Amino acid sequence: MAFDAQLAFKEKVAKITLTGSLDASSAPRFKEVIEEAALQSPTKLVLLMDSLEFLASAGLRVLIFAKQKMGATVDIYVVGSQGPVLGTLEMSGFHHSVYIQDTYADA
Amino acid sequence: MMSLCLPATLDSLDEIGKYVVAATSEAGLDTKPAYGLRLAVDEIATNIITHGYEEAGIDGNISISAELTASTLKIVIEDTGIPFDPLSRKLPGEDILNLPLEERDIGGLGIFLVLKGVDDFSYVFTDGKNRNIFVMNLAGHN
Repeated sequence: MAFDAQLAFKEKVAKITLTGSLDASSAPRFKEVIEEAALQSPTKLVLLMDSLEFLASAGLRVLIFAKQKMGATVDIYVVGSQGPVLGTLEMSGFHHSVYIQDTYADA
Repeated sequence: MMSLCLPATLDSLDEIGKYVVAATSEAGLDTKPAYGLRLAVDEIATNIITHGYEEAGIDGNISISAELTASTLKIVIEDTGIPFDPLSRKLPGEDILNLPLEERDIGGLGIFLVLKGVDDFSYVFTDGKNRNIFVMNLAGHN
């Protein structure tokens, strides 16, 4: 399934809906969307990942980039991630730095 | 399964992924090990394409083949890019994995995920080709 990243803003919260396969071929698109979001200085970054079916290290590197670009005070929420994609996040230690949730109140 | 030969570009990752999914399906692997193998192959293919070819300014191909036996599924990737042994890279330890993202280095995760995802991984350079070999044991995975 082709990758897509859709950005929406509401009250300084950046929400990005990720779908498809996030690997080295699609990571540049995700990085572009992160940069676009960072321009508006969000206070939170919410990643809706229910429909993200594949996550490679190139995608993880964009999450590191997001945290470093937006700053440590901008909390990152990973919402709806499940199965092996969630397993990859946890195996890589990302659950120590992002909030992993099944749902997001305003999602 | 028939082997597949593709241009060594990132656009080929999608076809490589489909090939691995078909192989794991034919082998009857469960979702988690099938995903682990697909991820491992994607990571190594990405390294080959990016470091072995593109950054070296070399054009070439990457080929992938699958061999299913009664007890294992073996995937082999071959390329003629710059020789590189993925196992020569230092893997992130728990101290690195526990760091907050704002302090993390962006490298090293790919090979870590390869070794976590498969039952056996090996590399040889022979006849002018890099050969990356991934093995999944079928017992307990299906």
